[in-house]
Amino acid sequence: MFRGAYSIWGRDMLVLRRSILSELLAVMAYPLTLYLAFGVGLKGYIADVGGIPYPVFIAPGLISMTAVNAAFDESAWSMWFHRKVQRTIEEYRVTPITVYDIVIGKIFSGFSQGAIKGVAVAVVIFFMTPFRFQFSYLLFYLAYIVLGSMIFSCLGTICGTLIDKPENIGRVQAVVIVPLIFMAGIFFPLSAYPTAILPFIKALPTTAMFEGARQALVYGVFALNYIVTLVITAAVTFALAVVTFNRKMSE
Amino acid sequence: MRTAISLKGITKDYGSLTAVADFSLDVERESIFGLLGPNGAGKTTLIKILTTLMRPTSGDALVEGYSVLNAAKQVRRLIGVVPQANNLDRYLTARENLILHARLHGMSPKEYNPRIDELLELIGLASRQRDFPDIFSGGMQRRLVVARALLHNPRVLFLDEPTTGLDPQSRRAVWEYIQSLRSKMTIFLTTHYMEEADSLCDRIVIMDEGKALVDGSAAQLKEAVAHSHIYEIEFKGNADHYEGLLRSMPFVESLERNRDSFRVALKDEKDLKPFMEKIVGADIKRIFLKEPTLEDVFIELTGRNIRE
Repeated sequence: MFRGAYSIWGRDMLVLRRSILSELLAVMAYPLTLYLAFGVGLKGYIADVGGIPYPVFIAPGLISMTAVNAAFDESAWSMWFHRKVQRTIEEYRVTPITVYDIVIGKIFSGFSQGAIKGVAVAVVIFFMTPFRFQFSYLLFYLAYIVLGSMIFSCLGTICGTLIDKPENIGRVQAVVIVPLIFMAGIFFPLSAYPTAILPFIKALPTTAMFEGARQALVYGVFALNYIVTLVITAAVTFALAVVTFNRKMSE
Repeated sequence: MRTAISLKGITKDYGSLTAVADFSLDVERESIFGLLGPNGAGKTTLIKILTTLMRPTSGDALVEGYSVLNAAKQVRRLIGVVPQANNLDRYLTARENLILHARLHGMSPKEYNPRIDELLELIGLASRQRDFPDIFSGGMQRRLVVARALLHNPRVLFLDEPTTGLDPQSRRAVWEYIQSLRSKMTIFLTTHYMEEADSLCDRIVIMDEGKALVDGSAAQLKEAVAHSHIYEIEFKGNADHYEGLLRSMPFVESLERNRDSFRVALKDEKDLKPFMEKIVGADIKRIFLKEPTLEDVFIELTGRNIRE
């Protein structure tokens, strides 16, 4: 059971291991730039948010953003590349594994990449900046990273399965993924939203992901409502990814 | 006949287009079977159905007794597939490509390592096993794809146009390799190279527009057109004029032109005399009676060249 998924995940991890340094360097550049630009550049203008220093306010979100972006990128591009360019999906499909093995292997590859890159950025932010947290809060925070990476890996898998033109994957990222992430209050408190919009923003799974992660890491609060939202979203996106891939393969 | 592959009324529609129409066929075990036809004839569609990559619109196919519809996983356990395009993983070395394939087939390192050593030696890539396939030549990549398909000792090997795009030397090497597998497994290959089918296959089916046109050994198929009177004529020049002249002759059954050369099929033996009378005095470089080839079989059946 899932021997195929494990083999495909193992292949992806082998490839990641070969290029881990360049991958980490590339993935760290963006959140660290944002941290320096907002956390350091705006520090003098924004003293604190709800009693928390601004660099500390944005750090958990930046780490989560790295993880979910990496999960989405890996799943979407890897699925598209293996399906349309390298056609290795076709090679997998003539072996005695199921399409579920393939899609689950790919989802877990995206999830693993997200988790690894998120942790790497966390370590760098921890050592290079004054951002500190209590280690006992880390376990709560990891739950958000895990669920967030899983959700975005499933979304990436769906995009990589359905989209044939690579530029359209970039468009989905620009029009759907980035707004979903930035609207979730990484750089500002949710209280900044007008009251009429706030319920919609709070219903977004990305809000659960980023706001929940911040509450976990900064205050040590395990927000059950956010976790429930994320578990349900992860289950739905996982089922959707599997069904979408299965349908595409039987076309 | 001990049957390895059995197609039962396979039809595949893509919307309004019928790629394969009610196709039935039995392939004998441990034989080399060739499906010959031009691009778009339906060969790849049939291979995709047989390798469980695609479901037929109607009908069923059995591979070693297992249905591609109801026992697809069992079918995939027994087959090796060499697709039309090399689908090697360029981020894995040659050896890692083989290891991944073995793992997907549930082989243990104890099983696959000696087998990989043996195959790499056989295809002449043992010294390049740690290289990535994107730096290999087309012929080397093809050999690696064939080795990958053979790794788990399949009972049926599917080769979809195995030598398309290869230089003549690499093509010969792949042919020799396929020949060496004769009697070890059933080989089902598609090709649009007549020479390939002629030299490799025990049995050939020529198909076009989703239907089988003729079935037999290369010798039988050529014998079927032996009654044809096919002449090859090469003119010294002015070929356009001679093409018009040849086309105007009522006893010319078919005409194929290649620069200044013409392949002329006459309707009957008795047509030779009036034919010669018509072309007497023409600038003929050479003229000879042509031995029938599979190309002639195809032209006779479809009225067109296989590469059209």
